Amino acid sequence: MLQGLQDLGAAYLSFFNPMTLLYGLGGAFVGIVMGILPGLSATLAIALLTTLTIKLGTNDAILVLICSYVGALYGGSRTAILLNIPGTAANAASCADGYALAQQGQAGRAIGIATSGAFVSTLIGVVCLALFTPLLAEVALQFGAFEFFWLTLFGVTMSGSIVGSDPLKGWLMGLLGLLIAQIGQESLYAYDRFTFGWDELSGGISLIPALVGAFGLAEVLTTLSDPIERKIVELKDSVLPRFREVVQYRWTVLRSGIIGVLTGLLPGVGEDAGAWMSYAAAKSVSKEKEKFGKGSIDGLMAAETGDMASIPGHIIPSLALGIPGSAPSAVLMAAMIIHGVQPGPMLMIQHPHFIYHVVAMTTLASVAILVFGLFGVRPLLHVLKVPRGILMPIVFLLCTVGAFASASRLFDVYAMLAIGIGAYFLRRRGYEMAPLVLGLVLGPLLDKSLRRGLVLSDGSLGPFFTRPIAMAFAAVTIFTILLYVPAFKAVVQRIRGAIGNALRGMVRRGA
Amino acid sequence: MSKVGHESEVADEDKVRPPRSDFRDAVAWTGLGLVTLIGSIRMDRLESQNINPVTIPGLLPGLLGLGMVLLGLVLALRSWRRGAFTLAEVPADPLHREQRKRVAIAIALCLGYSVVLIGHGLPFWLASSIYVTVSILVFRRISPNPAERGLPPRIIARALVIGVSASVITWLVFERLFLVRLP
Repeated sequence: MLQGLQDLGAAYLSFFNPMTLLYGLGGAFVGIVMGILPGLSATLAIALLTTLTIKLGTNDAILVLICSYVGALYGGSRTAILLNIPGTAANAASCADGYALAQQGQAGRAIGIATSGAFVSTLIGVVCLALFTPLLAEVALQFGAFEFFWLTLFGVTMSGSIVGSDPLKGWLMGLLGLLIAQIGQESLYAYDRFTFGWDELSGGISLIPALVGAFGLAEVLTTLSDPIERKIVELKDSVLPRFREVVQYRWTVLRSGIIGVLTGLLPGVGEDAGAWMSYAAAKSVSKEKEKFGKGSIDGLMAAETGDMASIPGHIIPSLALGIPGSAPSAVLMAAMIIHGVQPGPMLMIQHPHFIYHVVAMTTLASVAILVFGLFGVRPLLHVLKVPRGILMPIVFLLCTVGAFASASRLFDVYAMLAIGIGAYFLRRRGYEMAPLVLGLVLGPLLDKSLRRGLVLSDGSLGPFFTRPIAMAFAAVTIFTILLYVPAFKAVVQRIRGAIGNALRGMVRRGA
Repeated sequence: MSKVGHESEVADEDKVRPPRSDFRDAVAWTGLGLVTLIGSIRMDRLESQNINPVTIPGLLPGLLGLGMVLLGLVLALRSWRRGAFTLAEVPADPLHREQRKRVAIAIALCLGYSVVLIGHGLPFWLASSIYVTVSILVFRRISPNPAERGLPPRIIARALVIGVSASVITWLVFERLFLVRLP
């Protein structure tokens, strides 16, 4: 415990130099601008910055990426408030109340509330990150091939179920991601799978070009295909952070912070799940339910704190298990691997100080967004006035650079194009990208775990279902899939109703 | 994202996308799954290397293909029950036609830049300047607002300045400042 605090203190001290602070502010700046622009996501911001910072030292590069991650989600709420379009998917829950406040002439107040909520909730998440990552990493040391097999399947299944409105399409995208990850040389015998004699496919589809395509090019096409350009609401009042409201709605902030971190722990569900669940929880206990959706401060605070707190929440399983909580944290993990840090249970043994550096980086990111919240909101909003016909070709130029730069291969640019165009059409048909990303990231781990597990068990499937942790993951995964079967769902609902009635009866008798 | 936030979106999706569209998807998914399954079964089992038969390279891809076939069939069944063959197909409205035209132009411009201009000897800044300038002018030309469609010399010059500045700044930041190689 004392050693942990000492490491944390040393990590904080190591960031107190002008160049590091400049990197942090620079990362947050790029993130906020990307977040403000509708359609450009935190994933794209991190993917592009990964290539830009490839020659920097590990800590500086990861600092830039974490600051851009936090910055993008923070920037996205500005667009939700002023345009009624979420700047990133995570800010969708802020649209209703934020835009309603803006229409009532309180856009500045809404932005101030978002700033203070974002700052405080990121700090709540940072505390959880510092406390729980080492604990989870210790538990994860007991995981073997059987547990990792189910953990990856659990991740893809949960992601498919929660992200988007159609679990079936989510699971199909998860399977597609897992399948694309199998392309290229496999890890046990270096055998080329699905390469059709094409040498460049032997290396597989790299994550960064794939994500730049799915989140960059697909967004460029979506934005350019829409003939209607929206206008932003005028900002008349002060945009300064409102900490009085944080004190007034302290229980909402605390509750949403915890919900945000907990949803962050689930693999691949994304920051928007944290925002929506916090919003729903705040609405269910609020004394002013009728105001939700019509300019409720409580609602806006819940949405903003929920999504921001889920950022450190997503980083926890990425570091401790090597299983990303969201698409941006998947890119963050890929960037760590590029810089020689392998996330996963061995992280605490191979790089024991790294987790504390990440804690310090996330704290610095929350301070950076507060600085921009105090001084940079108005000038940064001018970016929303740039027509899409000018902005999007420049974004695509950056996408091409981002896809190429990580390995200096033209093949990666072509992969980005193919995946981007495919992702555009799939999204139009109701398919979400998050399960695909998770499948892409976890595909190699699933393959390795399945075959290693079968070797260890001598071909028997028993240990996949009988070891305690594997059994728990298997049960939840199978239960989640079976919930899609109407007959099974009806039985579950009947049992849930019966238990609810019994509990209510017991409470009444007790009273 | 939770179901809460998606209610209105789902309603819109259903309105725009009839079950027949899901049925077409289901056929494609099932086909991809079958092709993957066949490819995995026919994949080399490396018997000459005397490997453990439970570690053959086609094991997981085969299972994934099988999963895709099953889910594809469920999607087909669902779309059939929702009326894929009974409901008439909704013809595309003018907004959708306009969207299709715009996205076709955007894809053509992106392919022209990434496949034709880049990586064939043309300097990066020049290829990028051409792409950004042309894209700005093309999207102005097809603007839904007729007043914006004109291309007087001032607008062309402005597009050129934006195209060249964006490309040169990108080149300077990536290649000179952060030492990252560009195509």
